[in-house]
Amino acid sequence: MNVAVNVDAREDIPVWLAYGTPVFTVLAALAVSAVALVVLDVNPVAAYATMFVDTLFTEFGLTETLTKAVPLILTGLAVYLPLKAGLFNIGAEGQLVAGALAGTWIGLNVSLPGLALVPLMFVAAAVAGGIWAGIPAYLRARWDVNEIITSLLLTFVALEIQSYLLRGPMQGGTGNFPQSERFSEAATIPELFGGVHAGLLVAVCMVVVTYVLMTRTRLGFEITFVGSNDAAAQQAGMSKFYVYLLVFVVGGAFAAMGGISEIAGAQGRYRAGFEPGYGFTAIPIALLGRNSAIKVMLAGLFFAVLFVGGSSMEVAFGVPAALVEIIQALVILFLITAEFFKSYRVGIDVRRGPTETPARPQRGDD
Amino acid sequence: MVSFIAGLLDATVQAATVLLLAGMGELISERAGVLNLGVEGMMLVGALGGFITTVVTGSHWLGFGVGILLGMVLALVHAFLCITLKSNQVISGVMLTLLGAGLTTFFGSGWVEESIDGFPQMTLPLVGQYLVDIPVIGEAFFRSTATDYLALGLLVVVWYFLHHSNLGLEMIAVGEDPEMADTMGVSVFRLRYLAVLIGGGFAGAAGAHLSLAFSQLWVPGMTAGRGWIAVALVIFAQWRPRRMLLGAYLFGLLDALRIRSQSISLTVGPDTPLAGVINPVVEFLMTPQIMGTYPYLATIIVLAYAVIRTKSDQLAVPSALLQSYSRETD
Repeated sequence: MNVAVNVDAREDIPVWLAYGTPVFTVLAALAVSAVALVVLDVNPVAAYATMFVDTLFTEFGLTETLTKAVPLILTGLAVYLPLKAGLFNIGAEGQLVAGALAGTWIGLNVSLPGLALVPLMFVAAAVAGGIWAGIPAYLRARWDVNEIITSLLLTFVALEIQSYLLRGPMQGGTGNFPQSERFSEAATIPELFGGVHAGLLVAVCMVVVTYVLMTRTRLGFEITFVGSNDAAAQQAGMSKFYVYLLVFVVGGAFAAMGGISEIAGAQGRYRAGFEPGYGFTAIPIALLGRNSAIKVMLAGLFFAVLFVGGSSMEVAFGVPAALVEIIQALVILFLITAEFFKSYRVGIDVRRGPTETPARPQRGDD
Repeated sequence: MVSFIAGLLDATVQAATVLLLAGMGELISERAGVLNLGVEGMMLVGALGGFITTVVTGSHWLGFGVGILLGMVLALVHAFLCITLKSNQVISGVMLTLLGAGLTTFFGSGWVEESIDGFPQMTLPLVGQYLVDIPVIGEAFFRSTATDYLALGLLVVVWYFLHHSNLGLEMIAVGEDPEMADTMGVSVFRLRYLAVLIGGGFAGAAGAHLSLAFSQLWVPGMTAGRGWIAVALVIFAQWRPRRMLLGAYLFGLLDALRIRSQSISLTVGPDTPLAGVINPVVEFLMTPQIMGTYPYLATIIVLAYAVIRTKSDQLAVPSALLQSYSRETD
């Protein structure tokens, strides 16, 4: 008996597969993570019910979700935009921190009325985040130094600087905690509605800006072109240098805005460890929503639900909220598995007895 | 001063072992053409698995073995995704780090209070008791845990394996030019699987060393970015095992200095010219957190310098790194 696995490239992707993939991967991730819950003797159905019902059907849950979604969407865009040009920004976390530090410094040291101060904080954050992202971008654009490693390493540099500033020059408040002084009223982002701060408006605006940029402008076309074939794009007279620098710097500015909105909108002061690694969660968000900025926003909202739901599950069942990290990772691991089945048709031939035609050589683990 | 230097060297050796173990694994994997950004996650899984096994069975060697095995399990996922399914290596690696961190925080929270009898400090048999008496370096290099010696021994093995054995040379060929290697009858898929699995085993060993010998306890997230430093170390070492030894000790020294920087004073006397400028700068540069940035900055500078100044063939980055391989003919 001969068993052969055939792998053929699909010519076109069936509609059900194209639209079903994100849904399927999320369900598969939740199903596998349920095993972890069972191991800790927790009923997964009850835990997931708490996770989603408490988050989506209570006022508190919705407020929290929309608040958490702000940094998640913005950092998601910070990864999404370079991804469109074929670059990997896995240092959104560092850009977020660099921006948040700069914005916080302005918020604490400049006295202006709120209408001017808050925008100034955003500008300062965006500049700092843009510069932080500009380093790996310039090295890549000018000398072809791998941006994945440099952007990531700069994250750890930013985190050490954060720790230095919050224990040294920027330390404030009562006690000797690694945190800054509390923001004044003027430096706080005003409320938009029902406990959600106006950072949400910024996030939505940036989604729209990115969407329009990518779908309606010449520049967006150039970014996509460079991303799919940089040699051809340069033949066509486009500047790879300019595009690479632009997507990274703008991405860094997005991440930085996410950082300052979380601090000046939700936290009220800069605390060390104020955020559970939004800049890293940004990678799954951008990958899940990589087809358009709108989908990045939806993915950001979904991960915000997971974060908020994870905390309520922790309170209700005493299971660590780290389950959320497991789910995030599994969603993407299943997604890249599904990508394979989306692009290739896998068939298994079973032939009994001696075969006349030799079995096709196995592809894959040969 | 002598006791300070001896203590500093001792801390350097301890910090370097973790980086050496994880770095060697990453080196092998990258030499075969597969970037593994999941080191941090594999280390965490190895640290927790090794720790739990040691608590339950009382045997730290069994724990060390389980740590290696768990690192390899996570590496198998990476290998399947990147080699068989030809997925993006960066995405898979980063997600495996996230998965490893999530899994160990989730399952490890109940084990924080536990204590173990980990690897004891020991001297080498026969000659060890004399070597320890060497001033300054004796205690640091010759009274260590078994895993410290193991790491140094493995470095020699890895160097010999990669540069002087058939299998190792085939592995390098697979990382440089998979098509050519395939034509010459080398199984690209099998060797890449092997390299990634060995890499995961080393990462698991690094994690197990961390929880069983270095700190002898378990804390979620205890690798504290060392997996990423190991990735940086491979670049710093320009994919060469011998330079990795130098790099691991250099980064280890920076780590040790950071912990002890409070007790060092490099400031100049108040009468020295420019003391008002030099002293604040020196003090700033010696702050523990600022010192924490040095390994990362050094790697970025080395990477940029190597790319800008040298021809790319001198950089030794495996040519087929990040490229998945599929046969043209089917």
